[in-house]
Amino acid sequence: MNDAEPSTAVSAALPGAAARRRRRPWPWLLAAVGLAVLPVVPGLDSDFVRSLASQMGIAAIFALSFNMLLGQTGLLSFGHAVYFGLGGYVAIHGMRWINAGLPVPVALVPLFGAAGGLFFGLLIGSVTTKRAGTVFAMITLGLGELVVAASLMLTRFFGGEEGITANRTRAPQLLGLKFASQLEVYYLIAFWAFLSVVLMYAFTRTPLGRMCNAVRDNPERTEFVGYNPQRVRFLAFAVSAMFAGVAGGLHAVNYEIVAAEALGAARSGTVLLMAFIGGIGNFLGPILGAMLITWLQVSLSDFTTAWQLYFGILFIVVVLFAPGGLAALIALHVPLARARVVHKVIPGYLAALAPALIMALGGSLLLEINYRLATKPELGTRMTLFWVAMDVSRPWPWIAGVALLVGGLYAFRRSWALVEAGWQAASERIAGGGAP
Amino acid sequence: MTRAPALGLQDVHKSFGATPIIRGVTLDVVEGERHAIIGPNGAGKSTLFNIISGRFPPTRGTVRLKGAEVTGRPPFEINRRGLSRSFQVTNIFPRLSVYENVRCSVLWSLRYHYSFWHRVDRLRDAHDRTETVLSQINLGARRDVPAGVLTYAEQRALEIGITVGGGADVILLDEPTAGMSHSETDYAVELIRRLSAGKTLVMVEHDMGVVFNLADRISVLVYGEIIATDTPDRIRANRAVQDAYLGTEHH
Repeated sequence: MNDAEPSTAVSAALPGAAARRRRRPWPWLLAAVGLAVLPVVPGLDSDFVRSLASQMGIAAIFALSFNMLLGQTGLLSFGHAVYFGLGGYVAIHGMRWINAGLPVPVALVPLFGAAGGLFFGLLIGSVTTKRAGTVFAMITLGLGELVVAASLMLTRFFGGEEGITANRTRAPQLLGLKFASQLEVYYLIAFWAFLSVVLMYAFTRTPLGRMCNAVRDNPERTEFVGYNPQRVRFLAFAVSAMFAGVAGGLHAVNYEIVAAEALGAARSGTVLLMAFIGGIGNFLGPILGAMLITWLQVSLSDFTTAWQLYFGILFIVVVLFAPGGLAALIALHVPLARARVVHKVIPGYLAALAPALIMALGGSLLLEINYRLATKPELGTRMTLFWVAMDVSRPWPWIAGVALLVGGLYAFRRSWALVEAGWQAASERIAGGGAP
Repeated sequence: MTRAPALGLQDVHKSFGATPIIRGVTLDVVEGERHAIIGPNGAGKSTLFNIISGRFPPTRGTVRLKGAEVTGRPPFEINRRGLSRSFQVTNIFPRLSVYENVRCSVLWSLRYHYSFWHRVDRLRDAHDRTETVLSQINLGARRDVPAGVLTYAEQRALEIGITVGGGADVILLDEPTAGMSHSETDYAVELIRRLSAGKTLVMVEHDMGVVFNLADRISVLVYGEIIATDTPDRIRANRAVQDAYLGTEHH
């Protein structure tokens, strides 16, 4: 079948929807190959990287499923972890049945998660999606608390405080996969993550997926072109919950335990951060956000106990200065790359980077001193921060922190002129003459 | 055999709180007719449209569409039965492209409904229908632009495009030329004439030039009541209408 495409391609002169609609399979192939070779690339072939990548994969599915609601359908959920967690619980019970003799390979456990997410998405979504906007957000918040409370009461299903455990290795093997090593688990997660991303992308290119965008933009108008916006929201909600359940199922396989934190408010908040920092206006944005936040969660917590504070700061900075998220920042440079003038803006960025780092260093120095004094006063005033031993009862560390912060800020604002000049030069090159 | 009117209102009332807005409107619009509703500001013209299209139910009375009662049905059901309306204040999908705006309006009528198993970019019929509408409203060159950045006149044209996209045979246009310049109005009139060919058209309009140019019959709505329904010539000559509404123009 070769329809629709030729005539839409006529308009590809405009860099817009039509250009993006052209079928290009190679980015998908590239991603698949990347996922396949990643854990065996020299330098990255450690269990740490595989474990990190596994967590990123789970987070990416979860963040994309969240963005089906927020970015695609305009529904802000404060309780999306409910479907991650409930999917995870169904999956861990599925794994226990498998341990008890159910003849299903572990590789299919995410389907239990999908079924659990879909079931609870249909059940709960039939109520929550009656309304949109603030009311919807409030209902999801309330329901999230409700499910957390229920999880501590219904211990047969939720396992109380300890959660439910299962063993992924005691199961029928498919293709000889035992899932005893993190490498095998990584491949399982990579497979399901890839499949989920493809399916979630495909969903955006279906009539229902398009109508989700229409409902996001103007729910009332959809009613006058034949659509019931409540039904559109409900279906989007159920599909989104199903994919959240897949992520929860992979979480169950990865950790062999699911506990109440899997469906709690903290996880619901984190997925919002991931999607927003990555960029909710772009399909790939939440994946970027999920990878960045997961990496920060894992690595930053090694360096500082105040890592959640840095999260908050990052979130505020993105909301204030880059509301479109990382994806929008990258997308901003696509026209420059097309016109081959990216090199015009890079010197400005480099010039601004140094003072930005100095500013961050000063800020985090002050932050760490205060955090340490406030949370661990028993350790005294001698501490080593950024590989430098200091005594914070003396004024010098404070003076240094303030000097770095203020000096960095000043230099940063001065150097911003270079960034603007670079952009000016680049846009002039595009405007005047256009093509290289 | 007499055919049921395309649109039939029987003693329709609407009150907001204690305030009556529509006070017993009875009106039949026959199939293929171009019918204009005129009247002073606050007469209840837009309210009448909102009742007909299901935006809110009447306090009492019935609305029939092609013989079937649709009183108080939700807008999407009335739309599926073949009635489509435009809005006085432009009501489009601002972040979607012009192409997507129109395509959203054709999907239901082509029976794709809530499908998540069709690839929307490969639906030849949806694409062709969208293309046809785009060329009719003369926005083909703007197809990839987000609808929110179109000029006012372009958005008005898109508004009409979305309204007719689903192929409804009863079209309601709420002040389609509001805020347009003379040349834009002339263009819009031609557009409406073209797009409503073979269909039943009901329009609310303030521009008398447009009304007398387009309409087969005119209803005059004053304070929630229709004081006259007739051909343009007879409406022009009607004493009650002159007093209530047209008077200033005919002294």
